[in-house]
Order: sequence, then C-alpha cells, then structure tokens
Amino acid sequence: MEKSLIKKDALAGIAKKMAGDFLVWAPVKKEDNVLFEPLQKDGEPFFAYLNSKNAPKNVFFPHTEAMMKFTRTPKGMVFSAEENKADQSVLFGVRPCDAHSFALLDKLFDQEKYKDGYYIAKRQNTTVISIACVQPPYATCFCTSVDGEPVGSEGADILLVDIGSDYLVEFVTPKGEKLAQYFGDAKADAAAETKKNEIAAKAVDAITSKIPAHEVKPILDKNFDNPFWNTIHGKCLACGTCTYFCPTCHCFDISDEVKGSDGVRIRSWDSCMFPMFTKETSGHNPRTSQKERWRQRTMHKFKYYVDNFDAIACVGCGRCVMSCPVNIDIRKVVEDISKL
Amino acid sequence: MENIETKLREEAKRLLLEKKADVIIGYEKGTLPLTATPCFITTPEEADKLVWNNLCTQNLAKFVHDLITAHKNSQKRVKPEDRKKKVVGIVARGCTTRSLIIHLQERQYERDEVCIIGVPCDGYVDGKGLKVKIGGADIVEGTIDGGQIKMKTSDGDKTVALKDVLAECCLTCRFNNPIVSDVLIGSPSPAMNPDAEYNAVKEFEAKSMEERWAYFTKEMEKCMRCNACRQTCPSCYCPTCFVEQSQPQWVGIGEDKSDTQVFQLMRMYHMVGRCVDCGSCVSVCPMGVDLRKFLKKIDKDGWEMFGNRAGSSMEDMPPLGRYDEHHDKEEFIFNP
Repeated sequence: MEKSLIKKDALAGIAKKMAGDFLVWAPVKKEDNVLFEPLQKDGEPFFAYLNSKNAPKNVFFPHTEAMMKFTRTPKGMVFSAEENKADQSVLFGVRPCDAHSFALLDKLFDQEKYKDGYYIAKRQNTTVISIACVQPPYATCFCTSVDGEPVGSEGADILLVDIGSDYLVEFVTPKGEKLAQYFGDAKADAAAETKKNEIAAKAVDAITSKIPAHEVKPILDKNFDNPFWNTIHGKCLACGTCTYFCPTCHCFDISDEVKGSDGVRIRSWDSCMFPMFTKETSGHNPRTSQKERWRQRTMHKFKYYVDNFDAIACVGCGRCVMSCPVNIDIRKVVEDISKL
Repeated sequence: MENIETKLREEAKRLLLEKKADVIIGYEKGTLPLTATPCFITTPEEADKLVWNNLCTQNLAKFVHDLITAHKNSQKRVKPEDRKKKVVGIVARGCTTRSLIIHLQERQYERDEVCIIGVPCDGYVDGKGLKVKIGGADIVEGTIDGGQIKMKTSDGDKTVALKDVLAECCLTCRFNNPIVSDVLIGSPSPAMNPDAEYNAVKEFEAKSMEERWAYFTKEMEKCMRCNACRQTCPSCYCPTCFVEQSQPQWVGIGEDKSDTQVFQLMRMYHMVGRCVDCGSCVSVCPMGVDLRKFLKKIDKDGWEMFGNRAGSSMEDMPPLGRYDEHHDKEEFIFNP
C-alpha cells in the first residue's frame, strides 16, 4: 500500500480522533512517569517522550488477569469462564524495540503446540502503531545487537518515521491498512522514501551501546555450572523491577482468590528474581538461591528462547539497565559471558 | 571526598590483610553515569575499587544481614565447636549504622561479627529527582565537582547544584555521621537540617482525613508490587514475608488496589521504631511512590509517644521490642 505523509503536529489529533472510535493506548505523562495507558476523553497523549517507563506488554499480557470464576453452591461447584473481552483497540506510539517484543511474545503465546486465548484475543484486536527512533532515546539502547532496528517495523502494523517536517506513514500489515483513513490523503513521494532510508541508516549508526548477544549462545550451552554464576547475584535485591519492566519477560503465576463461597482464578506476573519463583507445594525449590535465579534469567533470554524459538528474548530497550536499583547491567553480564 | 576515598581504601586493605574482616561491603563506580553500586571486596587488591561520594545511595546494612544469615545457615551442619565466625566489614554512614544497631538490638548477630568502617556523609543524590530536574533527559556523562553536578545529556549540557537534588531524607538528616564504628574515616560532616525534619509530616497531618486518604490511595496506585522497597530495607529481614505466605493467604498477589494498600500499610506498621529514614525504599522504587511521607509520620509518632529514634543508640531500644522489668511486668510477659 502507498505510504502517506502527515504533518508532525497532527499526531496527537489523530490519536485523539481514534480514541473516539476505539480504545487507544497511548503514552501518557503521569507525574514523573510516562506510561502506556488508555487515552481518556479529555486526556492528552505525550509524544515528546524518550521511551515509556513500563513496557507496553501489559496491553496484551496484563499484570493481573481473571481466567475463570467459581462459586460453591449446595449442589457443588459452579464454574464460569471469564469472558475473554478484547475491544477493538490501537496501541499508539510504541518504540520499534517494544513492537519487536510483541513479535517475540507471539512465538510463545501463539505457537502451534499451545495457544494462549487471553493473549491472542487482545493481540488480534489491537493495531500497533510504532514511532521510529530517529535518535536513540537513551545511551543505554542496544537494539541493534539483538536483531532490532531503530527504524524497524517488526511487530508493528503501522510505522511512523520522522523525516523532518513530516511523518512518513508506512502501512506494514493489512491490519494497519484498515486505519489508513485516519492519516489523510497526502501520499509520500520518492524523495520522502529516500530521506527515510538515509535516516534509518544514520539511526543504526547512532546506537553505540553494543553487546555480543549472538556470541553467547554456544558459551551458555556449555557453562551451566561455571563458577561465573557466583559473581552476578551478590548485590541483587531480588526485587522484580527488571522483569516487570522487561518487554519480553512473560512468566506468570496462577492463583485462586476466594471470598466466602465465591472465587476467581487469576494469573499475574511472576518474576524469576522472586525467592518464591518455582517454589513447589512441597516447600522444595529447584532454584535455591539468587544465583540460580540469575542464571535462569540470563539463560532464558539468551539460550532457552533461542533453543525453543530461534530468537533472543531481549529487544535492547535498556529498561532493566536503567531501572535496576543496584545497577546490575545485563550488557556487562553478556559481555562477561562472551569472555568465558 | 578524594581524601576519604584514599583512606577508605587503605583501611579496607588493612582490615583484609590483618584478617579483621572476611569481606567488606562498600560501593564501587556503576556502569551508568553518576551512579555507584554496592560491591563486595574479599582481597586487598580489590579495595582500590571502593568509592565514597554523593552517589552512594543504598543502605548496605541489608547485605550484612544477608551475608551473616547465609553463613550461619551454611554452618548448621557443622559441629558447634568447629563452626567458624564470619566477620563482615561494612562502609557505613550514619543511617547505615542505625540499621546495624537495630539488627544488634534485635539480636540478629553479635557485635563482633560486623566490622564497621564509619564514613561521614553529606547526603546522596536523589537519582529520580535529578532526572526530573533536567526535564527527563538522558544523562550520557556526568561529574560532581565543588557542589555542582555537570552533565552531558540528550538535551545538551546541564549543570545542577548538588544541594538541589539531594534526597529528602538527607536534607533533614539528624544522624549523618556514624553512631558506632570500629574504624572512623575522615572528620565528621557538618550537620544537615534536622529542625525541619517533620515539616512535611506536619503539613500532611494538618490535612483532612479525606485528603490524606486520597493522597495515600493515589500514591499506592503507582505501586506495581515489584517488592524493591521491601527487598532493599535493612529492617525487612523476615525469612518469609507475610505477603508470600499462602496458608493462610493474607494478601492477594495481583494488582488489586486493596491488596497493594494492605501490603504497604502492613510493611509500614512493621517499621514502627525500626525505620531509620535511610531513604533506600524511596530511592529504589521504580515508580516514585512517596513512601517517606508515611514512614516519617510513624517515625514522628515514635519520637513523640515513646521518645525513641530508631537505632540512635544501643540503649535506645525499639519501643515495640523493649522490656522494662519495673513497668512492663505482667504475668504473661517473661524474660527468656
């Protein structure tokens, strides 16, 4: 489909117009944080952001989600499936790294062997509009090391690229094309396309933080018991900041919450950093200390996911690097592993 | 500060060489600009990594408890006469020593299991506040020099006065110099401004109940239950937190508003006479929840009702952990 051009100041207007027709998730400034939240009627999207504080994965995979309900009656338990409600919605303005994360999460939640209805319903009904990173938002961004591109369209349905006075609008998928009407009639010419390509090449060069992410897989294959694993976790607080902010972390826990004779089965985010992670009913935990939990986190991202889905489960957004309260830097961890 | 850093490294080396400490917990330079991060030094050579500056944020007492507990657990299967003592050295400012005192008062370990390297403190930088001050720009490089923070950011060069971005808890700190120590580095820092300690709390207390509740619920809505506040708190050392108990389950694990409020409320109640206002929970909170407003209220109550300032001296026992033979004697209370 032909690409469009829109004026740069038209962005907020388009988001708000869409919000009249669908549920629109957009970056919103809340006190000091920029978060992806449903755009309210009188709300103002905040596009002057570097990247959002939280990863927008909560749109498809919320922190807490009801799976089913149950009631105890004199005749026995009555179960009711929780309505898997997914409104037509638009996720407006994610960065390409976060859009990339959706493509990675699809591999897990929407695979041949197992289909996660809760995730898929939301994913199918949501159009992802991403805004390319013409400038790297942070010095800690390393998307180019993990198969990402600052001006990439992986995982996005529509890609917006800032080419100076205008945004070039690229409709990547048929789902994206359906929203073409919102972007006006101005068609992009060849000059705009050339400019975009120049900008894309420059943007790749501007990402200076690099990690040897592809080199570590064969090393991890052989080093499950390496003493190196004793060196990372010492200062780790065992909080869930890195995993909660991570666009690709997807571990969850399932629990029943019961009040009187009514109960609801919920699933909620879990974190491999929590001491309760993988603790069994017997009281035994196969991962006895933070050392094993840190090994799990690293292995899951750079080995297990590659084994299972042929992709690294990291998009290089740098959120864990910036948010870790004790500055455990995954870039350094990967670099150290590459030297083993 | 340079001078203090040099002396600190020398002392750390000496303590390790003389086997006065098996490990020293201190701070090293972080991988991000304008950060320092906890580190564990076990050989004299590594001591040169140690830094001491206004970027040293976390209260390291938490790690003392962790290390000694882990060591004791590892000794459980060793015959009592063969058990070895592990001495943990720690770089400690005023608030850190307060936390150590609380551990000692609560009999978590013996005084000779910890070797305290006291350092004077003139406050640490509130990282989130600094970000806000520079309009949310990304810091690419930064230095602190002569009370000024100079930065190269994604939004051009910026300079901020250090005193404008110190953590709230530091600005009104009453105990910025070590209360107990085995080795003292440098001379004491000048006092901060403790007279203003409760100003913000008093202002909050003057509000109506509805306003206070509205503020509490607004702050709690930011919480995403990552547990960073609890994990970094030296006074939060229960082997299993009530939040994680499942029989019975006290609190749901989801994002339910009331569950979050109960978690935070219960944590605060457990801080009566035990919160040393080190600001670690505030500094680690990724969402910027204003925990201090409520913790400081509890601290104020402790002072006004019981004349206690948590960890201010070995004799000043926590009000809820104190037993006074002459006044508290009831049949159901016994001294073990």
